Amino acid sequence: MVTADSNKWGMVVDVDRCTGCQGCVVACQSENNIPINLEEHFNQRRAIQWIRIERYWEGEYPDVKARFIPVMCQHCGNAPCEPVCPVYATYHNNEGMNVQVYNRCIGTRFCANGCPYHVRFFNFWEPEWPESLKNQLNPDVTVRSRGIMEKCSFCVQRIQRSTRESERDNEVLEDGDRGLNPACVNACATNALTFGNFNDPDSKVSKMKEEAMKEGGRGYRLMENLGTDTNVVYLKKVDESVEVTHGH
Amino acid sequence: MALTRRQFLTLMGGSAGAAVLFQACGLPEKELLIDSPAAMPEDLVSGIDNWYATASQQGGVSEGIVVRVMEGRAKKVEGNPDYPLNLGGHSALSEASLQGLYHPDRISAPLVRTGPRGSGEYREISWEDAVARLSTQLSDLKNSNEGNKAVFVSNPVGGHAGLVLDRFVGATGARHMAYEAVENNVLRNALKEVFGTDSIPEFDIDNSDFILSFGADFLSSWVSPTRYARGYGEFRQGHEHRGKLIHVDSRFSMTAANADQWIHVNPGTEGLLAMSIMQVLSATHSDPIYEQLDSDGILDTYSPANVADVVGVSPDVITKIAEDFSHSEHPIALGGGSAGAHTNGTQNLKAIYSLNRVVSNLGKKGGVLLNPEPPIDGVSAAKATSTFSEFHRLSEEMKAGNVSVLMVRDADIYYGMTDTADMKSALDSVPLIVSFGGMMDDTTSIADLILPQHHFLEDWGTDVPVAGPGYEMVGFQQPVVRPFFEHRGGNLGTKGFADILMTTAQVMGEDLGLSADTFKEVIRNDARKLYELNRGQVVSGSFEGFWNGVLQRGGWWDTGSKVTKEPAIKRLDGVDRAEFGGSNQEFYLQPFISTLGDGVGASLPWLQAMPDAISTATWQTWVEINHKVAEEKGISEGDVLEIRPSNGRVIRALAMPNPAVPPDIIGIPIGQGHRDGGRYSAGRGSNVLSVLDPQVDSDTGSLAWAATRANITMTGEWIRVPKFENTVPEFPRDEHHHIIEITSGDGH
Repeated sequence: MVTADSNKWGMVVDVDRCTGCQGCVVACQSENNIPINLEEHFNQRRAIQWIRIERYWEGEYPDVKARFIPVMCQHCGNAPCEPVCPVYATYHNNEGMNVQVYNRCIGTRFCANGCPYHVRFFNFWEPEWPESLKNQLNPDVTVRSRGIMEKCSFCVQRIQRSTRESERDNEVLEDGDRGLNPACVNACATNALTFGNFNDPDSKVSKMKEEAMKEGGRGYRLMENLGTDTNVVYLKKVDESVEVTHGH
Repeated sequence: MALTRRQFLTLMGGSAGAAVLFQACGLPEKELLIDSPAAMPEDLVSGIDNWYATASQQGGVSEGIVVRVMEGRAKKVEGNPDYPLNLGGHSALSEASLQGLYHPDRISAPLVRTGPRGSGEYREISWEDAVARLSTQLSDLKNSNEGNKAVFVSNPVGGHAGLVLDRFVGATGARHMAYEAVENNVLRNALKEVFGTDSIPEFDIDNSDFILSFGADFLSSWVSPTRYARGYGEFRQGHEHRGKLIHVDSRFSMTAANADQWIHVNPGTEGLLAMSIMQVLSATHSDPIYEQLDSDGILDTYSPANVADVVGVSPDVITKIAEDFSHSEHPIALGGGSAGAHTNGTQNLKAIYSLNRVVSNLGKKGGVLLNPEPPIDGVSAAKATSTFSEFHRLSEEMKAGNVSVLMVRDADIYYGMTDTADMKSALDSVPLIVSFGGMMDDTTSIADLILPQHHFLEDWGTDVPVAGPGYEMVGFQQPVVRPFFEHRGGNLGTKGFADILMTTAQVMGEDLGLSADTFKEVIRNDARKLYELNRGQVVSGSFEGFWNGVLQRGGWWDTGSKVTKEPAIKRLDGVDRAEFGGSNQEFYLQPFISTLGDGVGASLPWLQAMPDAISTATWQTWVEINHKVAEEKGISEGDVLEIRPSNGRVIRALAMPNPAVPPDIIGIPIGQGHRDGGRYSAGRGSNVLSVLDPQVDSDTGSLAWAATRANITMTGEWIRVPKFENTVPEFPRDEHHHIIEITSGDGH
C-alpha cells in the first residue's frame, strides 16, 4: 500500500494547453509495443490506444467549437477494475499505480466492464508485426498476447529503470527527470502533461495540484462523483467567451 | 559519440541559452556494474541503452531528436530538450521515422529495371555497376555539351547535403529543381517582399499575447508545428495573462479548433481582411506603408464597410479584431496554408505580414524575429523550390525530348503533380529515370535505375533550418545505428545520399571542390569553422572536444547572434480578387494536410493509424462536408462520393459530415492514393492533389491548391469510415459532471 514515504505517481493534464495533435498517442504506441492499429481494427472499434484524444463538438457552424482532451488510465486510488479481477492480474501497487500483470490475466474482461473511463483494451488478436519492424520493439515491455487485457502503465518500465539506475549510482531521482517521465509526457510539445510524485510536496505536480484545487483554481478530476480518487488531475480549459464555468 | 541515458539527462540540465563546456566522454565505469536481478520487476529486461542526438528534417520540418538505441537497434525517438526549435517535444512524424528505418518494404540494394516501367520487376546490381551506369550517362551528356538534358529533382535540401548536391549538379552540368507537393514558395516570396529575408522568420509565440493567424494551420502542419506548439503552450498558460488566438480560415482546421475565435472567411479573401484591418489601424498608427497606400489612393477602398460582403465578415467584427490586435502588447500576424494557395496568394500573404510592420513588432520579444545568415559560408538552408509552373514546363520539355536523364530524390512528382500538368505521361518520354529513394514511391517505382539511399537515422548531415530560431544554428545529424542492410555487404545495401553523389562525381572524374573523400569528412571540415568561431553553446579547448560536443548536443547554436537591422519598405499593391477553376461547381474544394504530410508519411502505419484531429478518421480518404448540407442531400457518413472539378478529373472519398464545415466547403486530406509506397500505402484512398485545377498564384506561378471548385455525386456505395470516434463509449454528460470543464478564466 501507499505510505507517506513511498512514491505516489500521478499526472497533471492541462486541457488549456492541449491542441489535440496526437503526438502523445504515437509516442505511447512506440514506447509500449502497442500492436499496429490496422483499418479493420478501427472498423471493429477495437483499436488500442493507451492514451487517446477525445474530441467533443459544441454548437455548429458558424458558432462551433471542437474541444480536445487526452484520456489515459486515471490510476484510481479506488479502482473499480481491481476488485473484480478473479486472478489478481490487476492490482494496486505501493506507488499508487494501478498495474496489470499480463501473465496472470485470463481475459475475463471484467475489469474493462468495471472501468468508467474505458481505458482498458482487450487483445482480440495475436499482435503481428512484419519481421523487420520487430527491431523497433522495446525490450523493456512485454508484447501482450491474444486474450489478455492491457492499459496505460504510466510507463512503469521507465519508472523502474530510472529508480534502479539512480539507486545504483547513488543519485537522487530528480523531479521531472526525462527518463522517468512516461513517453507521452516527453513527447507533448505544448507541455500539457506533467508527471511526478504527489507524495513529494516539492514536486511540480504537487504544487500544480495544490494551486489548481484552491478556490477558483482550474483543477478537477474526471467523473469525480464516482469517488475513484484518481491520480490524474485535469486543469480546466479556459474560454473567455464562456460566461460561467461549465463544460461537457 | 554515445551517451547513456542518465549522462544525457544530466547534461540536459542547462537551458538552450546557457553556454556549457563539454568534453568527450568514454563509457563510465559504473555503467559496467552488474545489477542484482533480485529487484527486477517482471516487465524489465536488463540492457544498456544509449541515447544519440541527431536531427530530423522529414517533410521539410526541422526537429532535434534523441534516439534510444539498444543492441544496435533504434527503439524510441524523443525530442532533444536542448534543440532550439522543439526544446524536447517531438512530432508523430519524427517518432514514426523508426518505422521508416525498419520498414519491411525498404530497398536493400541497387536495382535495375528488367520488366516494363511500373511493373515492379527489378534485378539487383552492385554499387559499382549502378554508379557506372549513372556516371556514363551523365558523362556522355556533358561531353556532348548536353549537360542540361540531365535534370535533378530533389526535395528541398539544405545544410551540407544541399552543398554537395549544388556542387554535383554544377560539375555535371545538370539542372536542379527542388520540389514540394505543397509549396512554400508563396510564403517565402511574400516574406521576402515584406521583411527582405530569404528564410522564414521566428515567430515568438511563447511571449506573444495576441496571435492573428490567417489560413496557417500552425499547430498541426504549417512550417514548424512542434516549435509553434511549444510556443502555444507558453502562450496559453506560461504567463500571468493568457494569450489570445484568433484564427481566420475558410476551413475549420485544428488551429481553428484551438483558437479563441474562428473567423470564417470566403476562400481567397484573407488578404482583403488583412488590408481592411490595416485600414482601420491607419487612423491610429503611422507607418511609411500608409503613405504609399494613400498616395496610390487605395487604402480606403478596403474599409470594413467596403469589404465586409466579399469577405463574409461583418464590419464590426473587422474593427474589433483590428482594435484587439493593436491594443495588445505583443501581437503577431501570420499567414500561409490555404491563405497563400489562391491566385492572389502572394498578395494575401503580403497584406497579412505587413500587419506586423504596422504594430512594429519586428525584432521584439513576442514579435517577429528575423534569422541571421547561416554561420558557414555556402552552407545554407534549403532554397525556395521550383514552382508548379516550372514543373509544368518541365513536363512539356520531357515530352519534347529535352530531358534525357531524370534523377529524383525524395521528390514524388508522379504522385504530387496535378493530372492537368500531365506529368505522368511526360515521364514516359524520359529515356532514363534514376531514383535515390530508399523506399518505393510512385516515382521511384517507375525508375530504370535505383541507387537506394540510407535512412536519415543511418546517415550524416546538417540541419540549417528554413525557419530558424532567430539566431544562428546548425543542427548535426549523425548515424544513430549502423545501416540496416549492412549485412548485404559493401557492394549491395544502401549508401548515404551525399556519398553516392560524391562517388559518382569521382567516377566521372569531376572535382566537387570539397577537399574530402566522404560526406562525414565534408561535415567535419566545416565543423572546424564553427569551432574556430569560438562562440556558441559548445565551446571546447580542442577540436575533438568540440566535435564530440556538437554531436552529443545535436548541434551548434549561438543565442547571441541576432539580427538587428530593419528591412527596407517594399511596396504593397493591394489585393485582387481570387479566381477559381470552374464557376458553376457547388463547393470550394479545400485540400488540407492531416496526419500524412504531403504524402511522405503514408508508408508509416503509426501515421496511417493516427486519428485526424477533427474527424478522428484514419487509413482512408474522407471528405468533410457540412452536416446539414449532407442531410439535405441524403448523404451519411461512409457514403462514397465522387468529387468532380470542372477539369473532368474524378476522385472518390468517403463522406464525413461534421458540424463545423462551412456549407460551401468540402475538405479532403492530402496524402493517400499512392500507386506504390509499400504495403501500408499502395492503392489506399485517393489523391486529392491529382484532380486540382492548374490555377496558379499570379506573382510566383505556384500552384493555387485551394482554388478549385467541385461538385459531388453519390455513387450509392458505402464503406465504413475507419475512425477512432466511438471506439470507446462517449463519457456521460450531464449538467453537473463534465468531461471537459471550462472556465471563463476569471478565477485566476
